[in-house]
Amino acid sequence: MAERLLDIKDLWVAYEEIEAVKGACLYVEKGEVLCIVGESGSGKSTLIRAITGSSMITVKGSILLEGEDLVPMKKRERQKLLGTKIGLIQQNPAGAFNPIRTFDKQFRETLKSHDILFDNEKLDQLFVTLGLKDTQGILKSRPYEMSGGMNQRIAIAAAMLMDPELLLCDEITSALDVTTAIAVTDELLRLKNEKGTTIILVTHNLGIAANIADKIAIMSKGEVIEFGSADQVLYDPQREYTRNLLRDVPKLIEK
Amino acid sequence: MAHLLEGKNLYKTYREKAKVTQALSDVSFYLDRGEILGIVGESGSGKSTLLKAIAGMLKLDQGSVLYNGKDFTGMTPRQTGAFLQMIFQDANSSFDPRRVMKKSIMESGRGKKDEGRILELVSLVGLEEDLLSRKPSSLSGGQCQRMAIARAFYSDADILLCDEMTSALDVTTQAQVVELLQDLKKDGRLSAVFVSHDIALVSMLCDRIMVMKDGTCVEEGDTLTVIKHPCVDYTKELLESARRQSIQEISE
Amino acid sequence: MKKKKRAKIKIVIIAALVLLLLFCAVFAGVLAPHDPSTPNAAAIRMAPCAEYPLGTDNLGRCVLSRVLFGGRTTIAATFLLVLISFVVGTLIGIFSGYYGGLLDKFLMRLADVFLAFPQMVVAIAVAGILNGGLMGAMVALGITMWVSFARLARSHTASLKNEAYIQAAAFAGKSDLNILLVHIFPNLLTPVLTQALTQIGTTMIGLSGLSFLGLGVVPPTPEWGAMIAEARAYIQIAPWAIMGPAAAVIVTIVLFNYLGDAVMDYREV
Repeated sequence: MAERLLDIKDLWVAYEEIEAVKGACLYVEKGEVLCIVGESGSGKSTLIRAITGSSMITVKGSILLEGEDLVPMKKRERQKLLGTKIGLIQQNPAGAFNPIRTFDKQFRETLKSHDILFDNEKLDQLFVTLGLKDTQGILKSRPYEMSGGMNQRIAIAAAMLMDPELLLCDEITSALDVTTAIAVTDELLRLKNEKGTTIILVTHNLGIAANIADKIAIMSKGEVIEFGSADQVLYDPQREYTRNLLRDVPKLIEK
Repeated sequence: MAHLLEGKNLYKTYREKAKVTQALSDVSFYLDRGEILGIVGESGSGKSTLLKAIAGMLKLDQGSVLYNGKDFTGMTPRQTGAFLQMIFQDANSSFDPRRVMKKSIMESGRGKKDEGRILELVSLVGLEEDLLSRKPSSLSGGQCQRMAIARAFYSDADILLCDEMTSALDVTTQAQVVELLQDLKKDGRLSAVFVSHDIALVSMLCDRIMVMKDGTCVEEGDTLTVIKHPCVDYTKELLESARRQSIQEISE
Repeated sequence: MKKKKRAKIKIVIIAALVLLLLFCAVFAGVLAPHDPSTPNAAAIRMAPCAEYPLGTDNLGRCVLSRVLFGGRTTIAATFLLVLISFVVGTLIGIFSGYYGGLLDKFLMRLADVFLAFPQMVVAIAVAGILNGGLMGAMVALGITMWVSFARLARSHTASLKNEAYIQAAAFAGKSDLNILLVHIFPNLLTPVLTQALTQIGTTMIGLSGLSFLGLGVVPPTPEWGAMIAEARAYIQIAPWAIMGPAAAVIVTIVLFNYLGDAVMDYREV
């Protein structure tokens, strides 16, 4: 059996008095893509927040990263992990960049702080696959001048350059066009295949998950109601709820 | 006979400092009664601009728009609202946050005060009556979008212009809204232009498809024809993405 | 939720104190133990005692009574001034933000001109030209006060007008005036009213300050600033005559500023 990179056991997360995640159990093996699928309010984003750590929530249970429990960890240790081992891409990319500094400066700074060389060619290649034309033009501009979709793609590029072991993606495709969403998932797949990055992708669209996942977890009302390999969940769902989610994915009518 | 809605050779350019963007370039379309026309394209393809230009929210550079054969180019939303209504992407913010739903719906009636009709429409879109006395912030996105459809119907407008109306919703809620639109179409109550980036969604709902790219219409035709026999590469690309994102076979 | 509740309790407590203060000012006539402007040769510069709780001033007038009546003048003038600036500023801001274009440019450059000078300096100059008096002082302060309301209302209007519900109202055939009054004004009322609350304290300082300089309320009408200015002359002999009005100014300003802050906190939570 492959090694579990992240192993979540009986996790309870609450915002003040509201329980958002209730006893979640799931894991992801090294080099796998895990998709967490659920409607808004299902607790899927809260689960991510529990992994990255946030002062607004109280967490019970354990989150083991390579056997080391993140829950009792101090804030500073946790933050150090966040830069090196764990990468995070959020749905709203606005928080990821300083709005008035050029991308060029911000890219160089982040890479420098993690001892990674700034490779123009690599960046160029990455930008093209993400559908970003004119790399130099983008690097010279500032986040506030860009549309949300553009910022999102640049944030993805930044996270990929950082080359983390575990990449957490919170609803990163839901604000994108279908074509771009597919390009982004392709890029994530490439990252997984070439670098062996482990990826956790949170989405409300099972269609996206079908495209990329090795494992799928379905969340509803704070609970993980189904968890298994992608084939198992997609083609032999055990729960009515999962079947409904499958039915709701828009299908191209070809007949 | 004249079409219900028609656009002829529409042009629109945006100028921002030195940057000139050709948002619409010689776009023509028509919509007949009881029909849904789907407009597909990525962001920046000009599909939203087209919708805004029809509604009078933007001024066209060139071309004309006609309603039942009558030219209404240059009319503002205040005037076009009499026969067409816009459904926005962000459903919650399309209602005044300080007002209850009933008041907002009533407003679109242009002086008409018919509570019975409102109740009828609210049940038509599949909502409970008691939601009418609530404010938009306490309704979900899906509920607000249904209310927006009810509001458009209450205004007695003939045409609905839907701008990415389901893309802010969950897949589940989106499916419910699409189902509602399908039902309304079956009853012959709906003539709409449905703008979306998701060709799969459009294929489920629309009679005809228009594919837009960089401000021009690259392909147009009957939905099934376009999906089965796309003429241009761009459409093929869109279809390919859509196929990969949809789950075709499901064991029931 | 807890934070919101706490912020609410804070507002209620401060609002209660403010109401108490307003009550004292409004019912000064009933509460005051003596007539505020009748001199009493038998009780000149008396230290606080049972009959004169805050002592008497140079002319033997009851300091407590004068503070109460002075509050009436100061608070009434402040409220009126803030109200007028609020109405004028908000109206200008709404139209400027909604219509944009040349009107907006003209009004906002005008606002810039007024903002270019320190408020108090303009007020002193204008009050000087107008030869003082309560009216003069109010005009002097009001001339720059509307600007902050106008700017706030303008920026809120400019972002509100792009909201989908404003567009929806246009599709419902509503006129610009209707949209402005029915949809935009009520939705920007809260932030602008909060601004008004925070302005009350500053305005009070401004009015008392002008009176202190002799450019505002003219004696013998009781007014806190003017009282401080008078009592300053004999502060070593009768410090109580200055302490009464000074304490009143401090308490009032602190209370109103707290109220403004509390309301702002509440909105942010």
